[in-house]
Amino acid sequence: MDCDWIKDNIVFFVYDELPDDARFEFEQHIQRCIGCRRELDAAREFKAGMAALPVQEISPNFLTSNRMELQEAVEHAQQQRSGWGMFVFDFAGWMRQVKLAPALCSALLMIGFAAGTLTTYQIVTRSQVPQPPSQAVEAAITGIESMAQQPNSNRVSITYDTVVPQTKEGEITDPAIQKLLLLACRNNRNSDLRLGCIDILKSQPEDTAVREALVYALRYDRNPGVRLKALDGLKGYVKDDVHVRDAVLEALMHDTNAGVRSEAIGLLDPVKADSSVREALQVLAERDQNKFIRSESKRYLASTPNLD
Amino acid sequence: MPAETAVLAAVGANGARRNSPSTGAMVSQAPSRVNDSELIRAAQRGDRSAFELLVRQYDQAVLRLALHLTGSEADARDIYQEAFLKAYRHIPSFRFECSFYTWIYRIVTNLCLDHLRKRQTRREDPQTTMDASGREVDTLERVSDDRAGANPERDLMRRELGAKIAQALTRLTPRERMVFELKHYQGLRLRTIGEMLNTTEETAKNTLFRATQKLRGALAPMR
Repeated sequence: MDCDWIKDNIVFFVYDELPDDARFEFEQHIQRCIGCRRELDAAREFKAGMAALPVQEISPNFLTSNRMELQEAVEHAQQQRSGWGMFVFDFAGWMRQVKLAPALCSALLMIGFAAGTLTTYQIVTRSQVPQPPSQAVEAAITGIESMAQQPNSNRVSITYDTVVPQTKEGEITDPAIQKLLLLACRNNRNSDLRLGCIDILKSQPEDTAVREALVYALRYDRNPGVRLKALDGLKGYVKDDVHVRDAVLEALMHDTNAGVRSEAIGLLDPVKADSSVREALQVLAERDQNKFIRSESKRYLASTPNLD
Repeated sequence: MPAETAVLAAVGANGARRNSPSTGAMVSQAPSRVNDSELIRAAQRGDRSAFELLVRQYDQAVLRLALHLTGSEADARDIYQEAFLKAYRHIPSFRFECSFYTWIYRIVTNLCLDHLRKRQTRREDPQTTMDASGREVDTLERVSDDRAGANPERDLMRRELGAKIAQALTRLTPRERMVFELKHYQGLRLRTIGEMLNTTEETAKNTLFRATQKLRGALAPMR
């Protein structure tokens, strides 16, 4: 072990990356070689000196705003996933599973072969049976896809789509009814319908799916009346559910409707001592254009002065 | 007096101790890694709150790393958002072949490397950085001195030195910068760094050697 080796490995000694045997040899050499000891001191001083550019601590404000932004992005990604995921086949994921399970792969091949044979047999058999008359008259025609006239004849072939309206009745606690109400809250373009559905659902905010729908309506619904109804339904959960609190804070900070914002600030009373709420209130108290919001923010801040 | 002695003199005898809270910050960020696999499985089943819990275990360290590397709150924010969104999209294909923290840091380091490469192409002025509102901030302002009894002259020296170090760091190649950052400021083992950067421990070792040589060379004229 010579001085060249020591010089090549000083940095790893300083950063504690030498194996135990090499470390021992290194220490032995350093004790008897003044030149290498000086090199080691210089390397240690370099390492200590790099502290002049410390790693900055992250401010709670910066962290919170990042988390809120991410939460929204993830929510959006989840909606996309649930929307398209049902229709998109994850071929790569399926291939990985098949690769890892040869027995499953063989079984799938056999099932595929059997199903193919059976289907071919059924098609051949069915083609000889006369088709029943179409029931399309009862359904509403929504659009014509294509039309083709058979050559040298008066016959035409028309392909069209139909919609069959259905009605379902039941208690509002019935899971099937609740599912339809939740769907109507998110997808229907009719504001009156959404308003009615939110009004019914807000009576059961203890259900997580309902609460999520209310949060969604508060964040994204275009109709301020629907947002107000959602806010009303969420008021009991501002204290205990951090997602609800974030959504209410967001409405307070960014909603375009003054009525929704005024309602949102009233809901924050039980959590006004929370640091994220206080930070938001401080910003609003200083800069908000709405006089009522400014004065209410100041009033809340003044009522908890001991936490400053 | 060797260059490093001058560095130490400007920093003060407590320089090494001041560095220690940040060193190994990432390691101390993951105390409940035992619960990670449960959370990952729940997140793979579509449980968003489980994913949020995973994020909260590592996000401070991720943000700290991105902020130190980019020197800009806006860039750090972009890297943070992109990294965790990528993690969310790909968590169903997480195969438990490495720890979650190695996996998320692999994503983050790749994004940071891309960022550093782009910046190197643009040749940005390392003396100024941008804060969240887009305001230009002098690198000197990033170097704070919170020691009790610090005097203005010493503070100024320390700030100048901090700015010199920041400048010297920008002269490293993106990979050297990343290895040095993960070793010196995050306190990771070279083997882990190799795993994160999809390379061997030996390569990470050589990169660290080159990086320290370059930095010592760049800071030598400060005698």
